[in-house]
Formats: sequence, C-alpha cells, structure tokens
Amino acid sequence: MAFIQNFPFFSIIISLFSGAISSILNGRAARVLNRIVIIVVAVLSAVTLFYTWGTGTSYVFWMGHFPAPFGNEIRAGVLEAGMAVFFCLVMLLSLWGGREHLEEEIEGSKQNYYYILTNLLLCSLLALLYTNDLFTAYVFVEINTISACGLIMIRQNGRTIEAAVRYMIMSLLGSGMLLMGLCMLYDLTGHLLMSNIQEAVAILHASGEYKIPLTVTIGLMTVGLAIKSALFPFHTWVPDAYGYSTASSAAILSSLVSKGYIFLLIKIIYRVIGFETFHDTKIVNVLFVFGLAGMIFGSLSAIKEDDIRRMIAFSSVAQIGYIYMGIGMGTRAGMVAAIFHIFSHAATKALLFIAGVGLTDASGDNVRFIPLTGAAYRNKIAGVAFAAGSLSMVGMPLLSGFISKLLFAQAAVQNQGKLLPALIVLALSTILNAIYFIKTVIRIYTPVQSDFAGRRIKTQVLFAVSSVLLVVLNLYLGCMSQFLVDLIEKGLGMFA
Amino acid sequence: MIFISILIPVFTGLILLLSPEWKNRKLLCAFTTAALLLSVSAVGITLSVTGDKEAVTLFNLTQSLPILFKIDGVGRFFAVLTGAVWVLAAIYSFVYMGHEQKEKCYYGFYLLSYAVLIGLDFSGNLITFYLFYELMSLLTLPLVLHSETKEATMAGLKYLFFSLAGAYMVLFGLFILNRFGNTLTFTAGGVLDLTLIQGKEGLLLAAAFLMLLGFGVKAGMFPLHAWLPTAHPVAPAPASGVLSGIIVKCGILGVVRTVYYLFGVGFLRGTWVQQVWLVLILLTVLLGSMMAYREKVLKKRLAYSTVSQVAYILFGLAMMQPGSFVGAFLHIGAHAFMKCGLFLIAGVIIFKTGRTKVDELAGIGREMPVTMVCYTLLSLSLIGIPPFAGFVSKWYLGMGSVLAEAPVFDVLGPAVLLVSALLTAGYLLPLSIRGFLPGEETAGIKVEKQEPSMLMLVPILILTILITIGGLFPDQIIEFVSRIVGTLFKEVLGG
Repeated sequence: MAFIQNFPFFSIIISLFSGAISSILNGRAARVLNRIVIIVVAVLSAVTLFYTWGTGTSYVFWMGHFPAPFGNEIRAGVLEAGMAVFFCLVMLLSLWGGREHLEEEIEGSKQNYYYILTNLLLCSLLALLYTNDLFTAYVFVEINTISACGLIMIRQNGRTIEAAVRYMIMSLLGSGMLLMGLCMLYDLTGHLLMSNIQEAVAILHASGEYKIPLTVTIGLMTVGLAIKSALFPFHTWVPDAYGYSTASSAAILSSLVSKGYIFLLIKIIYRVIGFETFHDTKIVNVLFVFGLAGMIFGSLSAIKEDDIRRMIAFSSVAQIGYIYMGIGMGTRAGMVAAIFHIFSHAATKALLFIAGVGLTDASGDNVRFIPLTGAAYRNKIAGVAFAAGSLSMVGMPLLSGFISKLLFAQAAVQNQGKLLPALIVLALSTILNAIYFIKTVIRIYTPVQSDFAGRRIKTQVLFAVSSVLLVVLNLYLGCMSQFLVDLIEKGLGMFA
Repeated sequence: MIFISILIPVFTGLILLLSPEWKNRKLLCAFTTAALLLSVSAVGITLSVTGDKEAVTLFNLTQSLPILFKIDGVGRFFAVLTGAVWVLAAIYSFVYMGHEQKEKCYYGFYLLSYAVLIGLDFSGNLITFYLFYELMSLLTLPLVLHSETKEATMAGLKYLFFSLAGAYMVLFGLFILNRFGNTLTFTAGGVLDLTLIQGKEGLLLAAAFLMLLGFGVKAGMFPLHAWLPTAHPVAPAPASGVLSGIIVKCGILGVVRTVYYLFGVGFLRGTWVQQVWLVLILLTVLLGSMMAYREKVLKKRLAYSTVSQVAYILFGLAMMQPGSFVGAFLHIGAHAFMKCGLFLIAGVIIFKTGRTKVDELAGIGREMPVTMVCYTLLSLSLIGIPPFAGFVSKWYLGMGSVLAEAPVFDVLGPAVLLVSALLTAGYLLPLSIRGFLPGEETAGIKVEKQEPSMLMLVPILILTILITIGGLFPDQIIEFVSRIVGTLFKEVLGG
C-alpha cells in the first residue's frame, strides 16, 4: 500500500488534534495553527487527488488495518479528494476575508474557541467526505452540527443565540431522522459499512422483500439530510443563522457545511442505496419538486428582504434548490450538474458574504439597503467582488454560475418528463435572481453624498487578497470548467 | 487581429474609467478620439485581412462550447456600420457632453460598448454571441443612467429588466439548440440535426419563437417594446443616437443569426412561428407609428419611430425571401444613419434652445437653417421618398414581400408599410413645416441665428450626405448584401 493512501486519514486526524491543541493556545497562536492545518490538509488532499487520478480507481483504507466488518473504513476517490481541496481553499479564503471582523466581534479570550470549532468543522467535513461507514458518518454529522452551532453563537448577541437555538432544533431533527433511517437500515441489512449495505440492499430490492420499510428508510435519511442542508421548506433557520453570525461563519456555513450534508446524501444515494434503487423509489421526484419550489420561494423571499446579509442567505436557499433539482433529475447528467453547482455555489456564496461585509463596513456597519447606496465607491474591491458574485449568480457567461445553469439545462433537456418544469423554473428563478442581485449592484454603484462618503475605509490587505482570489476562482470555474466536469464524471464513476 | 480590435477599446475604456478625474477636457476628448480611431482602424484592418473561413477560438468554455470568433458577411456589414456611427456620434459628443457631468465615465463606457459590439459582430457561435449580448446590455446601461436623475434610474432599470428577460428567452433557445443541433456555430442554412428533431418539432418551434421574442426585446418588437420609448429619451442625445442607431440593431443581428444561421429558413418558413411573428411585427409597425404621431416630446417621438422602423427591418427578415432580406439589410444601414442623425438634431435643439416639445419649435428653421434642412432631408428619407436611401430600402422591402409566397401577408404587409409611411410623414414633417413656415404669430419677431458649432454640425451633415449618396448609388451595397443572400438562400435559389 502506497504511503500516499494514508493521507486522507492523516488529514482527518490532523484537524481533529489541532482542535484539541487549540484549546490551550491563545487566539493568535490558534489562528496560525488553524491556517497551517488548513493548508497542510489542502496539500494532502491535493496529493491524494493526483494519486487517485493517476491510478484511476478509488481505494479503501482500513483504519488500524482491521478488515471489515470489525474495522472502520475510509474510502478515497477523485471526487472526495477534489472536494476536500476545494473545501479547504474556500474555508481559508473565508477566514481570511472575515478576519478583521472576527477579531472585532469575538471577545479576545474566546478567539481560540473559534479556531477549535473551525478545526473540528474541517475534521468533520473531511470525515463526511471520506468515510465508508454509515455510523461514522452519523457521528461526524453530529460533530459538524455542534461546531456549526458554535460558529453561529460565538458572536455574542441576542440574535445569534436565537439563531443558534433554531439551527440546533432543526438540525437535530434532521440528525434524528438520519439516525432512525440508519437504525432501520441496520435492522434490514445487518451492516454498517456502505459497500456491504449496498449489496444487501440490492438483494432486497431485487427480491421485493421489505419494500415499504426500505422506502421509509430511504425517505427518512433523505429528508433528514435535506433538513440539515436547508432544502425548502426546511430553510427557516437559514436567514438568521447566516444573517447575524460573523462574516466568516456565514461564508463557511453556507458554502461548506450545508454542502457537506448534500455530499453525504449523494454518497448515500450511490454507495449505500444504489442509484437504481433510489431512482425506483420515486423519492427523486419529491426532491425535484421541492428543489424547484426552493428555487422560486428562496428568491421571492430574497426580493422582499431589506437586509443585505439576509438577502444573500435567502439566495442560498434558492441555490440549494438548484442542487436538489439536479439530484432530483435522477440522471447522471443531473448529478454532475448538481455536484458542479456545489463547487460553483461554494465559491460564489463565500465571495458574496465576504464582499457583502466589506460593503457594510463602508457604510457604518449598516446592513439595510438605503445606507448601502454608493458603498461600492467607498470600498472599491468589495464593490467589484460583489458585482462579480452577483453576475455569477445571475448566470453571466465566463463566471461559474453560467456553467452550472448550462449543465442543469443540458441535463434537463435529456430528461423528457422533467424538461419543461425544469427549464421554466430555471428561467424564472434566473430572472428573480437578476431582480434582487442587479438591484443591489445598481444600488451600491449609485453615487450619493452619504454621511460615510468622506470616510473612505482603508482596504485591508487580507480582505482584498481573499476577495480577488475568490473572484479568480469564480472566473476559473466559469472559463475552464472542463477539468472539474471531468473530475466529477470520473469521481462518480468511482462511486458506482 | 480580431482580439486586438476588441482589446484596444477595452483597454482604453478601462483606462478612462479607472483613472482619476481628468482636469483637461481637450486632452480627454483627444484621448477618446485617438482610442476610437485606433480601434476603428484595427477593425478595418481585421476586416480586410481576415477571410470568411477563418475561425479563431479563444478558449473552450466546456468541451463542446468554445468562445469562437468568425467574420462573415453579416458581421462585416454590422462592424462597418457600427464603426461609422460610433465615430460620428463621438465627434458630436465632444461638444454636447460639455454641459453634462462625468464625461470621463461616459467616454469610458462608450469605448467599452464599442468593443462589445465588435465582439458581437464577430461572434462565431451562439454562446459567444450570448456572452457579448449580455455584456452589451450591462455596458450600455450606464449610458442610459448617465444623468442620474430618478427618471433615468427608473428607465435604466426598465431597460435592464427587459433586456435580461429577453436574454433568458434566448438562453432557453440556446439550451434546446445545444441538444438538437449539430453545433452552435453559426452556419448558413441552419444547424439542426434532422435525425434528432424527429417528433420534437413543436418544442423546437417554441424555442425558436422564444428566441425571436427574446431578441425582439432589443429590437423593440411589440409586446416587449416598452423599454425603448422610456430609455432612449433619457440618455444624452449622442447616446440615444447610438442606442437607436446601433444597439437596437443588435437585436436584429440576433434575429438574423437565429433565423438564418441556426434554425434555417427551411425549418421556419410557413410555420405558426413565422405567422405569429409577422402579426406581431405588423402590429409593431402600426403601433409605433401611431404612438409617434401622438407623442409631443421630440425625442420620445423619435424613439417610437424607431420602434416602428425597426419593425420594418424585422418584417423584411420575417418574410424569409431574398428580396425582402436585401431590403431589410439596406434598411438596417439606412435607419442607423437616419435615426442617429435625427437624434443628434434633437440633441442640437435641446443643447441650443432647451426646448423639447414639438409645439415649442415653431420657427426653429430660421434659427438654425442648416440643421433643419438636414432634418427635413433625413425625414424625407425615413418616410421613403426618392432619392434617399430610405426609398431604396423600402422599395426592396415592398417588392420582396409582394413576391413572397406567404398568403395574406404578401398583400397585408406592403399595405401596412404604406400606411405607416403616411403616418411617418405625419409625425416628422410638421416640425419642418412649422419650423420654416411658422405662420402669422411669429412673423414680426426677429430671430437670432443659433446654428450649432462645426463639431456638432459636421456629423449631422455627413450622415445626411451618406443617406443621399446611399439613395443615389445603392449598387455597391446591394451587391454586397446579395452576396450574403446568395449563401443563405442557396437551397431556395437552387430548388
């Protein structure tokens, strides 16, 4: 076994232990450690990516070299490794971009807590990506939830505590359903390792035995993860959680945490249930419908919103709807589009949150639209970044959002029954997106004599760097998407 | 070479936008002129050295969708037209913009828009076209928003939403075509894969119709024309000139690409799409003329006239007949010059006298005789009276449609065109008549000459002269357009 094959395991364990170590460090040291860990994990994942790309197959890693069914397994393929690299990248940029705010908004003595939580979050995300064991997945889902709650709550004010409690309730409901589903699946198949379950489920499905319990199980797990990833109509916790937490948290939560759950769902679909079985249960259609509904209602709520942060949060709901629509198409192409959108949305939404906070900074920390008028002139980089993010969301060619739309549409055109609803809702939601994003862009570029006009905010270097890098990432995804699409195709191939 | 001709205006425009406020106005104007001339000559060189067959791929968006540039006859026609109008309107702007704020910004976006338009003209496939089309909507928006009044902002938003809605209809078509076409590269005669579309004709026709509607937004076609009379008048006069002269024509370019280069005439002729489209167009012709007739504000009147005149062009294209196609192309050129000239004249009147309503302009002919003579000549051309270019183009439009094998429309079309020409005379000529012959009430009043400065007058004169020459010696252009027609209607002429 090649040494490189240990890397996924290393990256999980490094981030886990760094979380523990951070608890005895002061804020500054914890921050440095956190950055180092993220970069190291990114490098490790990148090496794994190259390795799996080179060998062309995925591999299973036995934890402690105990074979199944006694040992615990992780599994690494192209898609997992690629996503890990990407998650690290976005996380790093989000933390850079919101650093100034973080230090203002969090008490000095608690700053190392923030990095404990971030490290744990990274660890749980990686585990969700790599695990080959359903129960391990469940454990890390819980770790993920708790650290996400902490990230929301660490900025201490009344709203965030309320938001965190809300998030906690909804999220635990989701985990509860996942756990129930998992128990039933264990009951039905007697296994916890994904590959073993898949074999058992295939036999069950073929024989037609336990048809209803199996459907219920799949339904429970799907809905549980859907709640956690804020699929409409389970999105009520989103605007508060993303709107009031500190900027880095909002960016990480919306671009990474919810995506981790979606990835787990995709993994369950392919590796546990089996794509065909899942397709036969008709649950795909339910996901499709709710995805479509989310695309519309998320945007409608965003249009009504008068608070830029909450507006971006509601737009996340719509974008999650896109992803579920892709999954709900029930085709390979739809899945590719959905996974591409996970990447594209992560890059764009982090950019929007970071740029949004730059704009509010330049307007005396006001999040309402009227004081934001002309903010782009007061903080130029944030203005350009926000405009780029908005255009990407609206689906401007050359930016990542356009490629997602293109892939979704291509997937829809291949699917007879879902062609018209998908395309019509896609068009509608794009127009709705345009309404609120372009409106905001025009507002921030309308010059006014405001009270803040004289107060030119000095641009922080890190903020500028991370915004520019996120814009570049967006352009890269928009212009050279072929590499990523290949990666996704290859990764999905390894799933089967 | 193609990249260079697009990049020059982009860079110079960006320099203008990003640089701090320029103190010296003359320097600013000189810089803009130099940049513009440089880019126009780059385009000229590009046109002369690049062959029709050459295609340049910038990069691949996805595996099968490259950003691709190609220059064909249609592209050449539009590029030349754009260049001419752009330079003339720029010369005019140097005086006109003197009394406006934020000139630097204006010229910056002016140059960027030029770059985007050239990109649009040279686009080799639908995806590139879509990219530049979106960019054009966004980059011309600041020209509309320029005065920053509430009215302008509302007009700008209206413009934006109409444009975006149109663009998404196009996008819908793009998705469908991507599935059912061999390629998205513009190919004379269409790209549809005949084996794939078996049984899917309804869907494809719907897609075609949506694309026509979508591009029709830019071209001011009923029922999505409402942005045009709002947005054009609030922009500064040279901007409304180029908006009406060129930007609206990009919608037309889109339609040409859709009908003749993607779906193919053979697929669309005689279908419900053609018929519904023709009905909408004829409605637009009449509606635009009538609204113009009722409108009191000169610039709005001209904007409504654009709605009606551009629908003439669409009519020519929609008949899908060689003759009317030639007419449509001639009218594209003629209308670009005429309407740009008329808007510039309206600008002169506002600039010198501050009057905007037609009723206030009695006796204007004595104040600025040269300008008003140009106005009269351009109006006559727009109505379609020989020996001006407007006559030639309308002649071909009429002849083409009479020869077409479309029942009802071959009679109805020319009839509507004639009625509309009458209305055109009705709304344009009163200004000349009252301008030169104000009647009793102003008879004794001594008027002072208010002729505008040379820089403003020269572009208008050039436009008028071009229209006259075009009307007297149209052979060259007709020959050029006929060559395009030859490639497009090959199957028609052969069979």
